[in-house]
Amino acid sequence: MDTSRSYLEPSSFSKKIAATIIIVYTVITLIPISWMVMTSFKNVNSAISYPPEVLFEPSLEGYVNLLTNRSRQSPEYLDSLPPPENWYEELVRSREMVITGPSKFLGRYSNSMIIGFGSTFASVFLGALAAYAFSRFRVPLKDDLLFFILSTRMFPPIAVAVPIFIMYRKLGLGDTHLGMIILYTVVNLSLAVWLLKGFMDEIPKEYEEAAMIDGYSRLQAFFKVVLPQAMTGIAATAIFCMIFSWNEYAFAVLLTQFNAQTAPPFIPTIIGEGGLDWPAIGAGTTLFLLPVMIFTIILRKHLLRGITFGAVRK
Amino acid sequence: MSEKKKFKGLSDKAVGWLFIGPTVLLLLAINIYPLVYAIKMSFTNFYANKIGRVPEFVGLKNYIKILNKEAIWEKMQVTASFMFWTLLLQAIIGLGLALLLNRKFKGNELLTTLIVLPMMLSPAVVGVFWTYLYNPQVGLFNYVVNFFYDFGSFDMIGSSILAPWSIVIVDTWMWTPFTMLICLAGLRSVPNYLYEAAEVDRASKWQQFIYITLPSVLPFLLLALLFRGIENFKMFDMVVELTSGGPGSATELASINLKREAFEKWKTGYSSAFAVILFVTIFGFGNVYVKVMNKIKER
Repeated sequence: MDTSRSYLEPSSFSKKIAATIIIVYTVITLIPISWMVMTSFKNVNSAISYPPEVLFEPSLEGYVNLLTNRSRQSPEYLDSLPPPENWYEELVRSREMVITGPSKFLGRYSNSMIIGFGSTFASVFLGALAAYAFSRFRVPLKDDLLFFILSTRMFPPIAVAVPIFIMYRKLGLGDTHLGMIILYTVVNLSLAVWLLKGFMDEIPKEYEEAAMIDGYSRLQAFFKVVLPQAMTGIAATAIFCMIFSWNEYAFAVLLTQFNAQTAPPFIPTIIGEGGLDWPAIGAGTTLFLLPVMIFTIILRKHLLRGITFGAVRK
Repeated sequence: MSEKKKFKGLSDKAVGWLFIGPTVLLLLAINIYPLVYAIKMSFTNFYANKIGRVPEFVGLKNYIKILNKEAIWEKMQVTASFMFWTLLLQAIIGLGLALLLNRKFKGNELLTTLIVLPMMLSPAVVGVFWTYLYNPQVGLFNYVVNFFYDFGSFDMIGSSILAPWSIVIVDTWMWTPFTMLICLAGLRSVPNYLYEAAEVDRASKWQQFIYITLPSVLPFLLLALLFRGIENFKMFDMVVELTSGGPGSATELASINLKREAFEKWKTGYSSAFAVILFVTIFGFGNVYVKVMNKIKER
């Protein structure tokens, strides 16, 4: 082998070996996720067959079970009913059950959406304001303030959950959308400030100074000149805040019960007869993970930059 | 200064406070106030579920009780060994993957994105679906393991010997991409002229790796491990859904125990003291770690 080749130009042979190992790793690491998606399209019986079935007859039973509440009935009672009106009723009847109503899943899912988008908007907006000020103005104790903002991320959620629980109970914010939006906004705020400050630092000061010489006030220059310039950074930061709020579990399970509970604490509670209903859990997991996976793949460039950001900028 | 007054609208100082104010106020209200409150409560025998009862000041009693409790040290040990194995595995595999990805072969950006997917998922939901993969009767994980070597029936979650490994495997699967990405950023920041100079000096590939690549990627690896260490010390969601601390207390990490004391037994005073101890521990270790890290960087 040519020993003069360096890290700058790896030989095509070593590239091939590297690519092979990486592809094998990628396939292995994706198996658990693919398996869950596959399970969501199985019926209850093929989900618990052993050896595990790789080829199976697709079924939407998991999705039907996820979205409905059902009760078991005697064959006599089922015979006395009028024929099923649609395919999903038919499917449920074939399991000797009837649909008693919609499940809570869609409500939990929309809570996740409302709280996710609400808190993402708030933390990115407030974070952008603070980041701009830290980037442009002489702020007293700037470094201490920035470190203080970062250090709030080190608190274990459970350490502050009890006081927040008590405080929210007094303020009437317990189990409300507003309460959870405020909480997630604050948790994300430190990250938003740090990430956005990096992006703001990259925008030349001359842009807004030119605008201000043309008669813009500082505020106008910020909203009309700086914000549009920082759009890439804002998008990257927003994805991170959204993913955090979407995935958060500890606060959601401790501080909400009925009204404002998001999907992560709900999915584990989808229990069928005689244990867990794996296709339904698979369906819930798939619907829940889908937006994040699509986001990750579409916005990968922003995302990867955001993750490595702190490290690269020191 | 006189030049700046020519611009219309609020002064820069006013805009500065207007912009930073809301962030600082929110952090004070939702982060610092609860922390101070928790510290205050840690010196009392407060129970958050007994609303009428006035908490009494008990001094350091809660702290003494915790530090003398055998069970607490067991939880700390469980946490420490979870952290040790996850960080070790993630460091080795993450750095290895980063070195391979740095060869810039075709399609490596797409593969990077696919490898990163697990860390974007909700840890609680990941915990739930791994209980299915680990199922002793029908689990895919058990099937694959038995396919390569027939161990017969085994229960990753139900056995107190295997359960700690079950959470290490899931955490490593989920978070190795994080170490990998940070290391990759480190590898890409190494200036090319270092390798060019090394080649002029006829350094072998191995020497280039030991004297250039490794020292430059090390600070990045250590930083990634710091982040993961803080996160895994606080680890709660994935483990709660996967093993809920069991069997017995084989996987009961400190934060799971904290949740039980605080939200199941409602011993607010006692659990606040425990929270403060955990918090001081993270800060203490974090600080020492950062100092060591900076020393390594200076070299």
